[in-house]
Amino acid sequence: MNPSAAATANEALPGSDMANKLLVGPIRLAAKTLWDLTIEGLENIPADGPAILTPNHLSFCDSVFVPVSLPRRMWAIGKGEYMDDWKTKFIFPALGMIPVDRSGGDAAQVALNAAARVLDAGNLFMMYPEGTRSRSGHLHKGRTGPARLSLRCGAPIVPVGHQGTVAVQPPDYPLMKPFKKVTVRFGAPMRVEDHGDPDDPRTMRIFTDAVMFQVAQLSGQQYVHTYANAPEPETTDVGPTSPASTGATSPASSGAGIPTPPGRIALPPRRPVPIVDIRSASTAPAIAP
Amino acid sequence: MVRRGVDVYLVEAVERHPSTDTAFVEEGQSFDWAHVRQRAGDVRSHLTEVGVAPGDRVAIAASSEYEFVYALLGALGVGAIVVPTNPMSPGPELIRMLGPLEPSMILSSPMARSMLDYGHDAPAPVFDIASIRERSTAEHPAVVRRDEDETALLMMTSGTSGPAKAAMLSHANLTWSLANMCDKNPAGMQADDVVLCALPTAHVFGLMVITAVIRQGALGILRSRFEAAATLDLINNHGVTLLGGAPLMWHRWSADPGAPAKMTSVTRALSGAAALPLEVHEAVLDRFSLQICEGYGLTETSAIVATSLGQPDVKPTSVGRPVPGVEVVLVEPDGTPVEPGDTGEIVVRGPGIFQGYWNDPDATDEVRTADGWLWTGDGGAFDADGNLFIVDRLKDVIIVSGFNVYPAEVEEVLREHPRVASAAVVGSAHDERGETVAAWVVGDADEASLRSWAEGQLASYKRPTDYYLVDELPLTITGKVMRRELR
Repeated sequence: MNPSAAATANEALPGSDMANKLLVGPIRLAAKTLWDLTIEGLENIPADGPAILTPNHLSFCDSVFVPVSLPRRMWAIGKGEYMDDWKTKFIFPALGMIPVDRSGGDAAQVALNAAARVLDAGNLFMMYPEGTRSRSGHLHKGRTGPARLSLRCGAPIVPVGHQGTVAVQPPDYPLMKPFKKVTVRFGAPMRVEDHGDPDDPRTMRIFTDAVMFQVAQLSGQQYVHTYANAPEPETTDVGPTSPASTGATSPASSGAGIPTPPGRIALPPRRPVPIVDIRSASTAPAIAP
Repeated sequence: MVRRGVDVYLVEAVERHPSTDTAFVEEGQSFDWAHVRQRAGDVRSHLTEVGVAPGDRVAIAASSEYEFVYALLGALGVGAIVVPTNPMSPGPELIRMLGPLEPSMILSSPMARSMLDYGHDAPAPVFDIASIRERSTAEHPAVVRRDEDETALLMMTSGTSGPAKAAMLSHANLTWSLANMCDKNPAGMQADDVVLCALPTAHVFGLMVITAVIRQGALGILRSRFEAAATLDLINNHGVTLLGGAPLMWHRWSADPGAPAKMTSVTRALSGAAALPLEVHEAVLDRFSLQICEGYGLTETSAIVATSLGQPDVKPTSVGRPVPGVEVVLVEPDGTPVEPGDTGEIVVRGPGIFQGYWNDPDATDEVRTADGWLWTGDGGAFDADGNLFIVDRLKDVIIVSGFNVYPAEVEEVLREHPRVASAAVVGSAHDERGETVAAWVVGDADEASLRSWAEGQLASYKRPTDYYLVDELPLTITGKVMRRELR
């Protein structure tokens, strides 16, 4: 895409390029001065064309360190509430935030459509694959949104892993503590086609897990195959099914289209749900090689 | 084309079929429906004489044989609960399996020699079906019609990953499932179909095929042992129209040089019991111009949950859409439905869900909730058109450093190696990573070339760390790899 076409396309996106330039330059300089910031793998960011950046998410300030590490402008989805506050109303969009009203019925779809606009215009888009900050410190199961977006827009995913941001801004701490060491690493671009048939729905989970594996390599985190905001797994003594816990009253359609999921389905009693299945006993193969 | 009502009681269905129409052909011998009725009546007489009462268990140790057909109808006709039993199982195994079911009688076909040999240790009298004496129809006791909620069958689950259990299927389960294989499906079995019955009748897929023939009054071509060449001749000589097979059977047929000329009468091709490899699907399409329709189901769902039979758009490697009346939801381990397009455990509710495991309410509760949802233990994903794709048995998923490795994905990569015939992978315990992938490979590839092959195509955590080169893999009767034997 030539620069003028990109500029035209960007006009439909929030935050002008000029405001972005004026703001990001000083912030980048400040970040590099106030923190010991190491950036690795910049060669993995495409010089032009679309790409989806998928960082791990541990601290609010991840949304500062990843953008300032990039050689190009990027966009991301932000809470619609920021637009109601005069302090953030102009700055955040200029930094690349696309406001999405999360109270809406299909907020996820609206967000994905907004992201597709960014990518279709040949830009970088960042989304946290875990969907929310990890409170456990582990890297959690990835949502399939980035994979679906990658397929829809033909944009590669650049896995991102960072370290040190929790020390800069621990959870619920209002300010960023200066002079800490932060490392941001970009991995090699990944494409859906290399992980299976894009028309096969199973490929989305396989690709997502493969991206999370790369993020884990870059961030050094232990991976757990549960969502970051998942409730504690139910233990072995779940009682008889109560109406409140099933919620499975709305009938699921069948026979055509994707079945409409009912509410949460009751777990069978005594059903163990291990977070990580690590078998303690070392069992030798039953058949000799 | 003859269409009958959807609510057909299996035992009574045979009463309506034209007497002189051929019902089954076996080893060159033909049997008409009058003969089926006669022999079923003889079995009813025999069972009544020896005191078998409604609700008693009668095991039938037989394969896809004519004796199975009339023994089944005879035993169901006195209200007994039938236990289809694999005649090739070693005697001690059969005895161990049947003991807890406290059967009144074991009916054995000529094939079930081992059963007769172990007769003195058996948990019930063993009786050779063929030796049941012929009586006049006047002597036949009337058919006992059971309520639809009464148990009709105890199916031993094949149990690739655990001990075998007996699943109770009611008359309603059976009626519903057969209706979905026949009248309710636009491409279902009809009276004018010629059907190859070569699947084991102790497996729910084989049982459904043979009982659908009985229900519809179609023509069943019986073959108790599977051999590609022999079955191809049967298909050709009898003009088989509807052909169901396990993936291994389709693989053998597709590899037979003379097969294309012998498959010309087949209009519908079905595969079930295990995932059909894409290369087999493509070979059958290429060589026979036949699009194999896959189905998905468990013993615990009376087989059918989803099928691509009768759908205008068959997607290779998909098992099609859920059949009407079945609810299918994909869930996270905590029971929350997955996001659209994501993979989750298949949870099913509907009229085919079994009554539970025989005398084992705890095992039943582990898979079925009070409100009727069956947790299948299989992973699946829906595409945007509602087609279901099966991932793997969740118990078979290998967890390496917290990451899920789906055996099918690794096995497919290994199978694509030019010197590999088949492959199976299982988890092997590892101190740091929890598990690592161990591969069992049949073929003449050496370990170094397998390693570099995997390196080029799989993320590092999915690559097998150990390779075992073997002559063959342990398979179940339907050709599924018995992974527990490899762990």
